[in-house]
Amino acid sequence: MLLLENKEQKLINTLKFIGSPFKKFVSTGEIREDIGLVQSRKDFLRNIVTIVKGNENFILPIIGEVGQGKTHLYWALKNILYDYNTVYISLETVYKKFYFRTYSEFIESMAVSYDKIDSEDRLEPLRNMTKQLCNKWGPQERKFGFFQISNLEKTKESAFKKWSRRYEDKDALKDVITAITAHQLEPYKKFKAEQWLIGELMDVKDLSRLNIKHDLRKRSHAFTMLRVFIENSHKKSLLFLDDFEKILPIQKPMYESVELTEDIEEVFDPRWFGIKQVPEKYSAEKILDKILELHKIRGLKIIITFKSIEAIEELKKKIGEKNRKLLIMLKKPLVMSDFIEEDLFQFYKENLEIFFANVNYHEYPKFFSNSFFPLNENVLKYIFREARGNPREVIKYLIKIFNEIIVSNEKLEDTLENYQ
Amino acid sequence: MDESTDFVLYDALKNRINNGDFTGSIISKCQDKIIFSDNLSISNSEEISISQGLIVGFKDRDSKLTAFSKKSDFSWKNLEETPLEYAVLISESIMEQYNKEQFPFPFSISLCHTAGLYLNNNRGEIDHLDFFKDEILKNPVSLIEKGIIMSDRVVINEKGDPVFYDCIIVGRDTEDEVKVSYEFFVNVDDKNVLFIIILGTEELNQ
Repeated sequence: MLLLENKEQKLINTLKFIGSPFKKFVSTGEIREDIGLVQSRKDFLRNIVTIVKGNENFILPIIGEVGQGKTHLYWALKNILYDYNTVYISLETVYKKFYFRTYSEFIESMAVSYDKIDSEDRLEPLRNMTKQLCNKWGPQERKFGFFQISNLEKTKESAFKKWSRRYEDKDALKDVITAITAHQLEPYKKFKAEQWLIGELMDVKDLSRLNIKHDLRKRSHAFTMLRVFIENSHKKSLLFLDDFEKILPIQKPMYESVELTEDIEEVFDPRWFGIKQVPEKYSAEKILDKILELHKIRGLKIIITFKSIEAIEELKKKIGEKNRKLLIMLKKPLVMSDFIEEDLFQFYKENLEIFFANVNYHEYPKFFSNSFFPLNENVLKYIFREARGNPREVIKYLIKIFNEIIVSNEKLEDTLENYQ
Repeated sequence: MDESTDFVLYDALKNRINNGDFTGSIISKCQDKIIFSDNLSISNSEEISISQGLIVGFKDRDSKLTAFSKKSDFSWKNLEETPLEYAVLISESIMEQYNKEQFPFPFSISLCHTAGLYLNNNRGEIDHLDFFKDEILKNPVSLIEKGIIMSDRVVINEKGDPVFYDCIIVGRDTEDEVKVSYEFFVNVDDKNVLFIIILGTEELNQ
């Protein structure tokens, strides 16, 4: 019978066997983050939630340096605002088909939040929406007192009459109404109409069968559908636009940045050919216009992130030039602060607890709940000082130290010696 | 469930008659046929008339019984002339529930033209239940020994018995009072069924 067991050595051996608890230091919009926020961030999150719940249309800027945890904040928001369609778009990668991409993300988010991504049921919210719209538009007759018969043409006419004043692009509106009514009222077109509604690319044959001119690749169609979806969805909608400074002039194109080009002899600049506006600026300008256009969508709440406060002033200037009225939508920016020392302790402990729980190592909470083992308080304080409270830098240090512990044959004390 | 007898407009068995012009959702049992209508008038002289109702049942065609549904006007000068057994105005709450529960299930079968799924009477038998086993059929109407079932869909279960979903049931209780109820689904042994007719969408759209 084992009378005395070296619990600490056993934990180190377990780590050597299963690997480091700290692996990822960059959060993305694609991979779900389930780790909660540290205490100081919880208050910050509460502020955001209060703004989201208390306002209709707004743009809320959030400022945080690189590695401050802005994308992680998106996941925290998504988890807490479970009754919202919360969608993440990084402007780092989106330059084309902004509305189409945003709409697709909303459709995807709806499926994921329904937790049945592989099931036929994942489109249920969309189907309910089209059903409700058709019920609202179509004065459904009860023929012979019992049988609900819809008149397709009457329904379409009534829908167009109700909405045509509010929508600028009438062709796009007609196509959207045709797709929605076909989805509900024309059984033989239902499948194709559903494909159109979820943003699948369609060929001319399918489009002509549906009697629709374009699919959602067309900008005005994607915008109209996005608007219809958000304004009629059962849930409210929140759009999280990360890396917003990418589309502001404060971000210089590659061939204008001295830092990036000092080692390169020459970089092609399109202005050599007499083009006044460089392509990056042109496309950034277009994206900004498209984002500002989103104010027409009733109830859409937008959060944008920046790395610096200067960018906000630039944004205000830009919005002012385009439409001063839109400045009312812009909320006072919230600044994400660095970790405080207590945050680091909490973050470290919570991560280890989740990690060991996931690998079914139940001795960790039993024997190490009051210690920072395998690290110690001094090491954590060292990390905090060196990382200057930046969460990403903190994680990088933790990854480095844990990797050393795992591969090193030295005693733990000797490994930690360099980090105190 | 709504069991109020207030909406029985006419009941030949109980000698009950309510004069007036009625509109809404009305089911009338007319011998071995059923009439669906949105109106029914009973004049002071006890003339009963229905305008543009849908009559559903079986009829002789080339000495064979064939299911049919037909839009028609009906009028009977007096009670002696009328073949109606009863006429019931279904309450709005039941109709709302019935409409709410209708659902376009994928793979449910809608027929273009009215057809007989099952007939069990002294003149012969039609039985396509096995052919449609495990399938969902839209717009069934059924005459049971003591009542009528009209429902949104019928599924033929593994035993070959029909299961009606989202149904309005009209029948007589132990005191022979006409009763109406709504049920999410009802399982019926085919031995008790006189007929099941699947209404064609073309006929409904006429």
